[in-house]
Amino acid sequence: MNILTLQFLLEIIFGTVIFLHITKKNFWAVIAYGVQSLMIGIIFLNSFFETVNVYIGIMVLLTIIIKVILAPLFLTRLIKRHLAMFSVSTYLNTPLTLIIIAILTFIARSQKFAPLTNIIPANQALLSLALSAIFLSLFLIINRKGALSQIIGILSLENSIVVFAVFAGLEQSPALQIGIISNFFIWLIIATVFVSMIFKHFGSLDITTMKNLKD
Amino acid sequence: MLFIITTLIITALISALIKRRGVIEFFSVIAALIVLFEAGAIALKVSVSGDYSPFIYFYIDSLGAIILLVASVISLAAAVYSIQYLRQETAKNIIGFARVRQYYVLLNIFSIAMFLAITANNPIFAWISIEATTLSTAFLISFYNKPSAIEAAWKYLIINAVGLLLGFFGTLLYFTSFTLLSENEFVSWQSLAANAVHLDPLIAKVAFIFALIGYGTKIGFVPMHTWKPDAYSKAPNPIGALLSGALLPVAFIMILKFRGITDIAAGPEFSRHLLIGFGLLSVAVAALIMFNAKNYKRLLAYSSIENAGVMALGFSFGGLGVFATILHLIYNSLVKAMLFFSSGNLLLRYSSAKIKNIKGAIDVVPITSTLFIAGFLILTGFPPFGIFLTKMQILSAGMQAYPAVSVAALSFMTLAFAGFFKHITSMFFGEKPKDIEIGESSIWLILPPMMLLIIISILSFYIPSFLLTLINNAVLRY
Repeated sequence: MNILTLQFLLEIIFGTVIFLHITKKNFWAVIAYGVQSLMIGIIFLNSFFETVNVYIGIMVLLTIIIKVILAPLFLTRLIKRHLAMFSVSTYLNTPLTLIIIAILTFIARSQKFAPLTNIIPANQALLSLALSAIFLSLFLIINRKGALSQIIGILSLENSIVVFAVFAGLEQSPALQIGIISNFFIWLIIATVFVSMIFKHFGSLDITTMKNLKD
Repeated sequence: MLFIITTLIITALISALIKRRGVIEFFSVIAALIVLFEAGAIALKVSVSGDYSPFIYFYIDSLGAIILLVASVISLAAAVYSIQYLRQETAKNIIGFARVRQYYVLLNIFSIAMFLAITANNPIFAWISIEATTLSTAFLISFYNKPSAIEAAWKYLIINAVGLLLGFFGTLLYFTSFTLLSENEFVSWQSLAANAVHLDPLIAKVAFIFALIGYGTKIGFVPMHTWKPDAYSKAPNPIGALLSGALLPVAFIMILKFRGITDIAAGPEFSRHLLIGFGLLSVAVAALIMFNAKNYKRLLAYSSIENAGVMALGFSFGGLGVFATILHLIYNSLVKAMLFFSSGNLLLRYSSAKIKNIKGAIDVVPITSTLFIAGFLILTGFPPFGIFLTKMQILSAGMQAYPAVSVAALSFMTLAFAGFFKHITSMFFGEKPKDIEIGESSIWLILPPMMLLIIISILSFYIPSFLLTLINNAVLRY
């Protein structure tokens, strides 16, 4: 796969993170996460075709099953069960959110982070885009008030770190990568159980309604 | 090592499958005993040979052996204490058998993850294990299924997930020292340290910041500490003991390992200054909040943050400070577990964790109160207990290079003592409530903290030669 195709895939990933910030409907946020994960699956598939390593093949399969199919399925079921069609509001309004996104993207491309984006000089543009995605995912978790949005933010942060690792040549052995994916799958299951518990106890997925820990 | 993991897996399976409470409790204690025996054997082996690596995937150095031993002592105490603690809660209709079974399954999974994190020879595998400790303890924090417990568990899950993801990113950055990673290349802590000379100093610094934030979240350094008082106060007390006494040092060893690599690549000053910053901030914020604490379990959580800060200062000061800090780590883990067990007894008797609701405890539960007060004296550095010496040694080590930091730390430690003392006098002395039942609930709720007190007291005056060797070897390395 040539660099332009990889850059296109990464731009889609970056685009989905921005979309996650803007969208007001949880369903579309889940779809965006699914698309983001699919792009990562395609990048891994490329590694599989280049190496024809069985373990990488398993990893591709796991990525697609867990991140592209199961995770969105779980999250969609949660949305339907709790009628959480609309995502809970953000701490900052949309214009301010967009300004912060622009600032974070600028910071990721600045000289301050040049040591990170120059790990592989040929991939500098790709790495700064991946680093921006990391920062924006982190901002998504902080800025959103909804429990579901926070889960999607964490999953997006994980995807962004994985894609940074791929373009920085820091991919781990397939066994470890399978371990990481499995870990996140378990995390997702636990998080979705907690979302249901939050809804049961607080009648909302808005985390600002949780105010029982004052003392 | 595999024996420890296998034992705990079998116990978790037994807890999940068997429906007789007595059998589950029996196997949990037996498993904890076997683990302690194995950990002791490993510690002895490491004290002789310097390290222990039965397979390429496992590696235990001197500090790892110390933490393994401390964690297994606390695990055994928690296993024994949990039996009567949960029985009393069942008798009060707070929990049912299904919850008890869930508790033991998760407790054993948590122990597996914790022991794997200590012994994993690969940084990513160690990260996976640390993440697994979060996953296994989330349901233990929401154990009582109350809104406040759910809130605490959610906060714990989200903050730790974000923190550990940043730690994961930092961990990955250390791998840039390898020019090209082949698909099946096994990267161990040693190979990472050996390659550290090839690591770009700027990348090493950025990587350490992320690693420190990531694993510092698990430790509870300020400002990443916000989950800690909530989680500690909502979890069952034996879990609080394990989180504070066993898991905290496990996360600490991760930071120290990354610090060693960073120091090779970027020099020691960078990591030292960061640790001093986080350490002093943690001591200061915790001491200020402790003074106005309203809940004694949260008070213990803030004390845990304060002591994590003291340890960060000790490791950064170096020299004699490192020796004192390792001793401090041992004492702090044991005494914190002891305090969580004693506070569990108070909770069972008074049915409240609020300081204002606890009055005249010395008349109501005299042995528990004595244990709690002894724990307070040990923890705050009252002579002749060991923490008095370790705190003094840490501060005197810092006084040479960082006098202002040492003086500030001493002031905040004094404030923490004053705050803790204020709460102790309010809780244990004064008029007891008229309708409260007097006397200890069970000898089995007294024995575990008492055993820990005996161990701490002995270690305050006598350190066995194998332990001294381990500490000396750890000082040379860290």
